[in-house]
Amino acid sequence: MNIKEFITSIPVKKVSIKDVLTPDNKLVGLAGIVLLAMYLFGAVTALIHGHHAYGVTRQHPWGLLIVMYIFFVGTSTGLAIIGSFGHIFGIKVYNRFGLRVSLLAIAMLLPGFAIILLEIGHPVTMMIYNTLSPGLTSAIWWMGTLYTFVLVFLIGEFIVGLTGNHKVSRLLGIGGLVADLAAFATLGSIFGYLVARPAVNGPFMPLYFILTAMVAGSFLIFLMYGIKYKNNFPEDIKPMLNTLAKVLGLLLAALLFFDFWYIMTGIYGHLPERGETISYILGTKTYWIAEILMGAVIPFAIILLSKGKNLAALTWASFFGLVGIFFMRYDMVHNAQVFPMQTMKITEYQLVPSLVEYTPSSTEWMIALGAIGLAILIYQAGTKLFDLEEKDHH
Amino acid sequence: MARYGMALDYKNCINCKACEVACKEENGVLLGADKHRIWVGQNEVSGQWPLLDISSATFLPSQCQHCDNAPCQSVCPTNATYYDENNVVRVNVDKCILCSYCMNACPYDARYVDDRTLTVDKCTFCSDTRLARGETTTACQNTCPTKVRTFGDLDDPNSEISQLLRNREHFSLKSHLGTKPKLYYLT
Repeated sequence: MNIKEFITSIPVKKVSIKDVLTPDNKLVGLAGIVLLAMYLFGAVTALIHGHHAYGVTRQHPWGLLIVMYIFFVGTSTGLAIIGSFGHIFGIKVYNRFGLRVSLLAIAMLLPGFAIILLEIGHPVTMMIYNTLSPGLTSAIWWMGTLYTFVLVFLIGEFIVGLTGNHKVSRLLGIGGLVADLAAFATLGSIFGYLVARPAVNGPFMPLYFILTAMVAGSFLIFLMYGIKYKNNFPEDIKPMLNTLAKVLGLLLAALLFFDFWYIMTGIYGHLPERGETISYILGTKTYWIAEILMGAVIPFAIILLSKGKNLAALTWASFFGLVGIFFMRYDMVHNAQVFPMQTMKITEYQLVPSLVEYTPSSTEWMIALGAIGLAILIYQAGTKLFDLEEKDHH
Repeated sequence: MARYGMALDYKNCINCKACEVACKEENGVLLGADKHRIWVGQNEVSGQWPLLDISSATFLPSQCQHCDNAPCQSVCPTNATYYDENNVVRVNVDKCILCSYCMNACPYDARYVDDRTLTVDKCTFCSDTRLARGETTTACQNTCPTKVRTFGDLDDPNSEISQLLRNREHFSLKSHLGTKPKLYYLT
């Protein structure tokens, strides 16, 4: 079979452009368009003004765009892991995911790329010199290279899955899963390798990244099904979601365990720089309200009290849970940089440097939040164009 | 080739900041408080009048430490940051993609963004300017009125810096990180 025959063999629904643009859920569709307009406006501003349009500084060089990049690709990794339960590991109850979760993983990965292209100062130079003079000791090089593989594998798995060749699709899925796990753990190691930053240096970050990716992926699956069925779940999908709820409960328990020991080992002995950073974290509202309550305790309590059966509550908890995940990413990136590397006064009339502050610029907000619109529209177009019927294909 | 380093007799520093000015002038560093390759750190005087702790009022001139094991170099995805033939840590602006990883990885806050090229800039020990013209001193060293700085080849046992480091006790900043800085503070 040549390439042309293969492409024409991909089953695409015969729908008009109008159908593709008509959302199933008007509110979500409208949000998608407004957010996409924000992204485009922010992108044009960034292209005109470069890094001057961002609120990042010498002391705090990574900002909101890195945060949202981690949010998107991390959630995509989580979706790939959870999606593999049925497709790769053969746990029958999860076969209902079908290609829908694969599509969602792609729809989350591409906005991540759309953000990082605007965060990197010279993306074309990156493509040239990542190839011509690769920095093999650099975690960013490995992360970028691995995510390129992830994109190829995920799209390959999806397209081959559409054609009905489940054997090849599964093989591509295995490649995608391995590359995805390696890529997001490597993204965690970008922080873990920073010898200058004791608050994030060490093996914790790669582990934390994979765990939170699975939590984020589960949240998005609950949110997606909640919106799809308007919280009126058909009986045949409930066993899968009830089982996934229990998995999510376990993951959230693990997350709280991780959080607890990260904090405890940080404040015990109050190691310079690390101790100050952990004390700072404990004093921030976003840590307690967003990360702990919204991101972990509330969804955990709902799952525990309803034994994973209150799916309508879980839809809402997942929405707020994803807000919690956003703050986990935001706080992690900010906390990594909060302790200044320059601790002395270097100009007259300056106060002694204290913890570094960072406020994202309006352009950063527009790009970062606007990329959610990109995710919504990619997913929406995918559901319109392809038959994602969740049939048991194993 | 040489292995350049610098010894700083930092207790002689009078915080005149002539080194900062000379660096900007010689190397065309942009104006602005955040745009600097070198700086003079100042400790606040501690204690309460009249029992002021005079020994706390010290100045600490600093810059890129030109580490032998530079974290900024190993994290660079395109090898834009490299060790040149004189073991000076340099940035190739053509290869720099401004991912800012090096700025986060540097324990000394020695890197900043040059707004003209939108790439990361840092101290080069005047490699592009004075050394390229055949001079043997850096701008900051040349201008220092109290002779705080001594620049030279650490591999040459007869260089002034090698003799200083043999005869004077010295320390490096954040040496516990294993970065092996080539800036030595004489005590």
